[in-house]
Amino acid sequence: MKKSILFIILLISFVSFSQEDHDISYGFESNSQYYLDDSKTGDFLESNRFRSNNFFKIDYSYKNFYAGLQVESYEPKAMLNYSPNLDKTNLGLYYLGYNTGKIEVTLGHFYEQFGSGLILRSWEDRQLGINNALLGGRFKYSPKEYLHFTSFYANQRKGFAISKGNIIGFNSDFDISSALNFETSSLSAGFSYVGRSQEKTETNFDYNNRTDLFSSRIEFSKDHFYSNLEYVAKGKDAVIIQNQIKNAKKGAAVLANFGYAKKGLGINATFRRMENMNLFSDREANGNIYNESVVNYLPALTKQHDYLLTNIYVYQAQPQVSFQDPSLIKSGEIGGQIDVFYKLKKGTFLGGKYGAKVALNFSSWHGLKADYDFASFDYEMDFFGFGQKYFSDLSFEVRKKWSKQWNTIFYYVNQSYNKRYIEETFGEINANIFVSEATYKMGKGKSLRFEAQLLATNDDRKNWAGGTVEYNATSKLAVYINDIYNYGNDDVDQQIHYYNVGGSYTVGAHRFALNYGRQRGGLICIGGVCRNVPESTGISANITMSF
Amino acid sequence: MIKKIVFLFLVAFSATCFSQKNIPNINVNTLKGKSVSIESQLSKDKVTVLAFWATWCVPCINELDAISDVYEDWQEETSVEIIAMSTDDSRTQKRIKPMINGKGWDYQILLDKNQELKRALNITLIPHVVVLKGNEIVYRHTGYAPGAEEELYEIIKKHSK
Repeated sequence: MKKSILFIILLISFVSFSQEDHDISYGFESNSQYYLDDSKTGDFLESNRFRSNNFFKIDYSYKNFYAGLQVESYEPKAMLNYSPNLDKTNLGLYYLGYNTGKIEVTLGHFYEQFGSGLILRSWEDRQLGINNALLGGRFKYSPKEYLHFTSFYANQRKGFAISKGNIIGFNSDFDISSALNFETSSLSAGFSYVGRSQEKTETNFDYNNRTDLFSSRIEFSKDHFYSNLEYVAKGKDAVIIQNQIKNAKKGAAVLANFGYAKKGLGINATFRRMENMNLFSDREANGNIYNESVVNYLPALTKQHDYLLTNIYVYQAQPQVSFQDPSLIKSGEIGGQIDVFYKLKKGTFLGGKYGAKVALNFSSWHGLKADYDFASFDYEMDFFGFGQKYFSDLSFEVRKKWSKQWNTIFYYVNQSYNKRYIEETFGEINANIFVSEATYKMGKGKSLRFEAQLLATNDDRKNWAGGTVEYNATSKLAVYINDIYNYGNDDVDQQIHYYNVGGSYTVGAHRFALNYGRQRGGLICIGGVCRNVPESTGISANITMSF
Repeated sequence: MIKKIVFLFLVAFSATCFSQKNIPNINVNTLKGKSVSIESQLSKDKVTVLAFWATWCVPCINELDAISDVYEDWQEETSVEIIAMSTDDSRTQKRIKPMINGKGWDYQILLDKNQELKRALNITLIPHVVVLKGNEIVYRHTGYAPGAEEELYEIIKKHSK
């Protein structure tokens, strides 16, 4: 720790005496919370009421060289439900590299993604406590503008430690249309390999130390149409059920996408099938609730909603094999989604003076159809068969500007959420959600925003209502108050208000925010990845600064 | 512990004096999947605005919608170029093309697929705009309040002269 601080000071003093070629960038983020007792939802029973997650990152470059590091501090303890591996202050990332544009060499930590991430993606999401950066060496080579190669050998970051398993990767991207000078269409292809090596445990099941994954993909577009296709094959790997190896199975994934887009209209359709596609840098990490040691990126392909009540029943992708009981067996998922975006022209009957924007999304996800044998933890797959329905979501949005002052959004969602299968508990939920939002602009950054929400369902915790008022006093200062109220709950004691008040102040690229309130427990999802948070009440402060 | 935080603050504040001047040399993707360096997309003597956004970010969309209404006037007066830099990951990337068409935006769209440029600029929150003269960073701003595009335009005008 001391060394890294010394390093930072050295870098800063070095750069402050330097010339034009040197460049330096910093980022600082701090998220803290003071947890309070709550007469309605209970006392705070953990240690350390004050908790804080802090990040300081510095990037330095000189001509083709670059270097950087990230110090992370979880003091006195990380916020609730972050991995216990994120503890105290330490060096989280460090890297050094050389990049000419044609050749790039990186030593230390790096983030990488092959294709859509189905076989490899390392990234950071501080809100979710995810940082699965790779630590090792990477070599990138682009012999031509249309040809790119990447290879690396690394371990994966896990908290402040690293994985036992090694990961080796190779990727190639070939822009065929540029190479062959296609005039009107675009065609590209890619191929990747990822291998995860980890000493296997003594078992009767047949799999290797190294698990191999191959991905091939192709992308094509012409005029207003575009499409792409990716296929992934995963070699035999241990199937781990409740921390025990119960079988060894192969895995596969297919991702297909078709779209049509011209000015004023866009349509996109995606299909995906995944079978036994989980991949962790350590096999034992299978099923961990902190999203640690995840090698590939398998997000839920559903619409990411923006409102509090539309985010109560959020689907999570189901790529894993799971044998809970004979009536609850999973081996993957199959389904898709369709998006339509349409602009109603200015001056038409529906569009009015300023026009209007309409968006529609429908997604539906099912389990895989297979002959399951619970006794031997095995299955025979029907490749394109649809099994048990897991989730569906239909949403419709209209954004309309009425005058220079008034803007409105109307949003409707119909959701069907199979809680038994998705969360492996009980129940099924069908819900209708209505949201309307209005913004009134008063000029010079001053504005008022109102939001009213209603979730109607006869299942689970029944009906909810919610509202938000946000006032931007200037373009720098904003305050808000919101509340969601589970008024329909059968248990009167559980008819709880989850209220929050807060404000933020922004100066340039820096933002300071303060918040007080009660948070609903459950899944917090960002980018299709979710983290379970407990119900909590408290005061929180967030600082983000970029230089 | 408090000491450490205070120290980090001091470092951060002392850093303000030496904040980044040039855009880092990082590759991003075009909508057609071509990999290009960000520098190659900036015009030498004009003002370029990199607006970091994502299809799921409501204030980002509000900002780009608001600018879209006046973009023609802005370009006429200052010949500013706005690049809408999507930070969508593969979950929502496929929604970019239909969305920008459905909205009728005229911006150049680039994809920062695994957020490399976003990280290199140490951006933590979006919306975030970076105003560039050539490839020199002259202004940065995070967040969007309705109407704040007017302030952004003042900055653009100031640097377009």
